[in-house]
Amino acid sequence: MIRIDGSAGEGGGQILRTSLALSLLTGRPFRIEKIRAGRKKPGLLRQHLTAVDAAMRVGGGTLEGAEAGSTELAFTPGTLRAGEYELAVGTAGSTMLVLQTILVPLLFAKGKSVVRLEGGTHNPAAPPFDFIEKTFLPLLGRMGARVSARLERAGFYPAGGGAATFEIDGGIELAPLDLTVRGSVRSSRARAVVSNLPFAIAEREIQLIRKRTSWSDDALEAHTVPSAGPGNVVMVEIASENVTELFTAFGERGVSAEAVATHTIAEAERYLASGAAAGVHLTDQLLLPLAAGAGGRFTASGISSHTRTNAAVIETFTGAPIQFHAAGDHVEVEAVAPRYALRES
Amino acid sequence: MKARVNVVLGFVGSTLDQGRGAARWERWRPTIGLCQQEDLVVHRLELFYQRPADTLTKSVIADIATISPETEVRRHLIDFRDPWDFEEVWNGLYEYARAYPFDTDREDYFIHLTTGTHVAQICMFLLAESRHIPARLIQTSPGSAPQVSPGSYQIVDLDLSRYDRIASRFSQEQKDALSFLKSGIETRSASFNRLIERIEQVAVRSREPFLLMGPTGAGKSWLAKRIFELKKARHQVDGAFVDVNCATLRGDGAMSALFGHVKGAFTGAQSDRGGLLRAADGGVLFLDEIGELGADEQAMLLRAIEEKVFFPLGSDRAVKSDFALIAGTNRDLGAAVREGRFRDDLLARINLWTFRLPSLRERSEDIEPNLQFELEQYSRRHEKVAFNKEARTRFLDFAISPAAAWSGNFRDLNGAVVRMATLARGGRITVDLVEEEIERLRTLWSSLRGDPGGSVLRAILSETEIEELDLFEQVQLALVIDVCRRSRSLSEAGRTLFAASRRERTSVNDADRLKKYLTRFGLDWDRVRAPQRS
Repeated sequence: MIRIDGSAGEGGGQILRTSLALSLLTGRPFRIEKIRAGRKKPGLLRQHLTAVDAAMRVGGGTLEGAEAGSTELAFTPGTLRAGEYELAVGTAGSTMLVLQTILVPLLFAKGKSVVRLEGGTHNPAAPPFDFIEKTFLPLLGRMGARVSARLERAGFYPAGGGAATFEIDGGIELAPLDLTVRGSVRSSRARAVVSNLPFAIAEREIQLIRKRTSWSDDALEAHTVPSAGPGNVVMVEIASENVTELFTAFGERGVSAEAVATHTIAEAERYLASGAAAGVHLTDQLLLPLAAGAGGRFTASGISSHTRTNAAVIETFTGAPIQFHAAGDHVEVEAVAPRYALRES
Repeated sequence: MKARVNVVLGFVGSTLDQGRGAARWERWRPTIGLCQQEDLVVHRLELFYQRPADTLTKSVIADIATISPETEVRRHLIDFRDPWDFEEVWNGLYEYARAYPFDTDREDYFIHLTTGTHVAQICMFLLAESRHIPARLIQTSPGSAPQVSPGSYQIVDLDLSRYDRIASRFSQEQKDALSFLKSGIETRSASFNRLIERIEQVAVRSREPFLLMGPTGAGKSWLAKRIFELKKARHQVDGAFVDVNCATLRGDGAMSALFGHVKGAFTGAQSDRGGLLRAADGGVLFLDEIGELGADEQAMLLRAIEEKVFFPLGSDRAVKSDFALIAGTNRDLGAAVREGRFRDDLLARINLWTFRLPSLRERSEDIEPNLQFELEQYSRRHEKVAFNKEARTRFLDFAISPAAAWSGNFRDLNGAVVRMATLARGGRITVDLVEEEIERLRTLWSSLRGDPGGSVLRAILSETEIEELDLFEQVQLALVIDVCRRSRSLSEAGRTLFAASRRERTSVNDADRLKKYLTRFGLDWDRVRAPQRS
């Protein structure tokens, strides 16, 4: 039984999700303790419980301590099962984080899976649907995975009500990924989206980006989407030769439209200045498929403490190291393929 | 292990839960906010609503379905004619609670108190407090602007013992009350201490009559006064303490003394008299020796207890008096009922809470702390008095020995201390004073017992010799000596003492048998016949 300290570093939720995914992949049971210790609301939150529930359905065996507020959880995997899954996340929590828990394991499950998720599709502190669709899945595709994504309806915090469906071909073997070179930028685009809020908010956000960049009108778009509640997101997409990166920021009460737009574009600018292929968030997302597959290497604009925690959890399960080498303005990340074969399903 | 299920009972907030369009998500809506809490899963929501809120309720349920897929909502139409009518709302909710299949082994219940009329909130609170609904309370509140939704929640458990600081305050308060009832005396008798604990519980929670039983001097009147003072400190009573010994209320004056009279009710009734029951209005009436009350007084008292009204002598206008009754008795009221001297319905009414105070002899371990208490009381009123060490030991040895009857209980102990303290020179009670007092107490008790031989024995044996004998033997020996002293010879005494055996011819030599008996006590004919102890 692997023991995981849920209070280590940052991101108690991330530690849990990564552990669940790796437990499903390696067949190794784990016990996570001190979940979110020291937080204002320690222990498991509802969105975490949905991730646990998803893992149980996809390939769980036994489970202990899966209750809101619980600071300890034990999970023993069973058999990975491809299939159709409907998962609803309460409190407008991120559906993409739930997907993150089961997506890579389902790549290894024999057969096709259809995962339909309901809840938040565009949440702060989580990858939005567009990032998964435009950035993450194409990279998985390069490693040999076939996953399609379809957004039925956007869901923003706090109303939620969004839905997205993913079709996953299972039973594949992942190839190593080499993403050390970003390549030249082919296009840059910005989109400001509002739902149930004045359109002027999106226009002001686009206006700011127009002023700050020299991008043409074709590359700038303000539009509305249907959703259950109010929502606003600004997304900046940088498509380079070898990777498309997407940066996002969310409008919230008390924060001006200009501040939201500035936040997004500034993050994109930092990424471009680093010369790396992957931004901070993509770096975080890539570790799991690399570690689960045949390893690989890529350049990252920076390493967050979140990422370091994540890497430590992965190493605990696979025994294969993830290394970070500073290289001027960026960091080279290298994930060695696990020393033993991941389990067969 | 199956996870527990959280069930919330709450009302749709006809105003607070309102909201139109997408902007409703930016409003704080308590019922929806409750289901949006990141760290609380509401597995089931029992949602009460009134008919006018039908549409609102449906939209609230739809929003909960979006935001909280874990929640099953059951809606309950409760149609109050007047949702501000306390009785109607209470009855409606009470019926609901009675029929609800609460399953506390598997489910945790919460009452959401933030919505609903104040009357509904009060009723829900009362149902939770009385455990008709085994729930904790949950209240929701908006977040701070600009992010008011979904807000936060707090759980309030009405079991105050769960709160350490409140609980310690309660236990201190209870300890104080117990100590108060015992006048600060550190009593050691476990059964007495248990009794006082029970009395404290009942005294602070109930206004029903008390019946204090126990021998004279066991402290009934003192305890009644203390109970009154405790009730007064807890704001249960605001009237006076009226203490009556019913044995003193014999005859014609009894009715008038208890219930009062109007002017001209009888010869000599020259003005109105309120009576003792009236004086106890709002307070405590202590009727000691209640078994001594006459039949008429018993009947009137019963009515006064049950209906809180009575008729003064000669008046046709009922007088109201609301008092808490404490009755005292040293008699077996059950026997009095059987003999027709006491009403069974009155006894039934007053013995809801019956406490039997033990005699001092039954609490011999409490003699020492009480002795200390009596000394302190004396010292406070007069001069400081203390025992010599030896004297104290001698007195206590005697006090807890079987020879000490303590037939007047605390009254005797108090008397003994007062006498010794008064005679003490320089504030010291010496062994001599103690011996003298022991002698006085023996005389007092033997005279009370009708002297079953005490004085006869003391004429012949020393105190030490007597103390070595069982009471059983003392009585027998005293009678034998008495017969000897009234007989002319050993043989005559033998014939008298063994008359029954003689008739049965089982005893051949009475004199010899008597002689052997006396020898066992170191006595012979001459010594028994001697006029004085030698």
